[in-house]
Amino acid sequence: MKRLFAAGPIWPLVAVFIVAIWAAGVSLTGVSRALLPSPVLVADAMRELIDDGVLAKHVRVSVVRLVWGFALSTALALIVAFAFARVALLRRIVEPPLEFLRQIPPLAMIPLLILWLGIGEAQKIGIITLACFFPIFLGTTGGIAQCDPKLIEVGRVSGLSETEILRRIVLPSALPSVVIGLRIALGQGWRALVGAELVASSAGLGYMIEDAQNLARTDIVVVGVIVIGTLGLATDWLFRRAIAAAWPWVRVEHGAETHA
Amino acid sequence: MLECRGVSKTYRLKDRAVAALREFDLALPPGSFTVLVGPSGCGKTTALRLLAGLETPTGGTIARSAGDTRVGYVFQEPRLMPWLSVARNVGFALEGRMAKPEIAKRVADILDVIGLHDFAQARPDQLSGGMASRAGLARALVTKPELLLLDEPFAALDAMTRRRLQSELVTLWQCFRPTIVFVTHDIEEAVLLGDEIFLMENGLIAERFANPILRPRDPTDPEIVRLRRAIIAGFEAGEARKTRTPKESTQ
Ligand SMILES: Nc1ncnc2c1ncn2[C@@H]1O[C@H](COP(=O)(O)OP(=O)(O)O)[C@@H](O)[C@H]1O
Ligand SMILES: [Mg+2]
Repeated sequence: MKRLFAAGPIWPLVAVFIVAIWAAGVSLTGVSRALLPSPVLVADAMRELIDDGVLAKHVRVSVVRLVWGFALSTALALIVAFAFARVALLRRIVEPPLEFLRQIPPLAMIPLLILWLGIGEAQKIGIITLACFFPIFLGTTGGIAQCDPKLIEVGRVSGLSETEILRRIVLPSALPSVVIGLRIALGQGWRALVGAELVASSAGLGYMIEDAQNLARTDIVVVGVIVIGTLGLATDWLFRRAIAAAWPWVRVEHGAETHA
Repeated sequence: MLECRGVSKTYRLKDRAVAALREFDLALPPGSFTVLVGPSGCGKTTALRLLAGLETPTGGTIARSAGDTRVGYVFQEPRLMPWLSVARNVGFALEGRMAKPEIAKRVADILDVIGLHDFAQARPDQLSGGMASRAGLARALVTKPELLLLDEPFAALDAMTRRRLQSELVTLWQCFRPTIVFVTHDIEEAVLLGDEIFLMENGLIAERFANPILRPRDPTDPEIVRLRRAIIAGFEAGEARKTRTPKESTQ
């Protein structure tokens, strides 16, 4: 994987190849445009959606939701993970219910969240927060657990307090694993968001797809799919760049986000 | 004054107990330079860890005179934080304790002494083994500790750098007069540095040697050579005891 991307110019070729097969397949089989529209039709639909600003609106709505949910769950997960590291009793009390909650797919919580939070932004952000929390939380607790006790001893003999040891030694050494958690969370959050927008929503990329399906506009559905995939790749790429700039010692592998 | 009386440390493993240190008596007057020398596994690191408060003794007492003693500890491995530059590793214990410009000045000074000036902004993984252990030494010295505990700090260095840093250490000691406990397995190093030398063997202090020879000390000085011989003889006697004891106990 890594070498493929490092070689650079290969992936545009792959994209062109896939589009070519798609176009050839559509024209050779004569499949109806309601089942699979040709690339040209999809491009037309995309231009239309861009021109009248509809796509931008849906993208903005989805991205804003994602940013809020991601930020909220990052803050929560870091706080809970470090509180667990500091207070063992807290961990013993809170961990079992958390573990229970972790088993439940966020989308299965949609009915309850609709009851509790309505069908507005709070519910969407709630779903994203649920989806993002556990990858970040597990990444952070894992990173904390793997912190080298020899480095912690350096803090002890330097006269650092427990809190300083957490902040100045445990947190930075847990960072690579926190970053993996953040990247997985970003992907999960994106997925959960689109899922939530499919169910009960009046804006966002998921809603755009759902609405297009009701109108039998398969071309718009395909546009939605392409935009979602591209935005996912783009956010992950941006994220990796940001990490590399902020914490150069953290190695960020391409494609660390493996599990869905 | 730091005093250990009858200190022992036993590590419990699954199936057995390891007596790493036994009946350890040590009195360290302020400003003294003490060396613990002995083969690997004899309990030197354990003794230092107890003095630093990183371990609690299983028996005996460690008494410290009142007051907040600044401790500098040079670990056997460099133990640098991989995410910090060499300069920030060296200033690690000072951060948040004093103003940034003062930290920068202290760090720069100590990096000069230790010969790492050009690597202040390097990351630890860009250092050689010897350079990394010098950075670990600088990190302990930069706080101007009152108690300085060094665990084979020069073991990873080439002979020439080791000679230079040995005399730098003595100079620093003469300037600031910290209480030093220096651990080594190198008898020549022990004799060149220490005023009191404890030969350790199997978790016990086997023999104590006073070393009144004036500084600067020359390894070829007849008195130094004589003291080295005495310590080697003590060590060999210990080895002989060790090989004899099991046989006697089976008879
Ligand atoms: N954390 C530990 N757990 C179990 N045994 C230990 C531990 N630390 C040291 N020991 C044992 O104690 C003895 C003395 O170790 P150490 O003080 O490291 O020796 P030295 O530094 O002189 O080489 C050794 O037998 C070692 O295996
Ligand atoms: Mg040792």
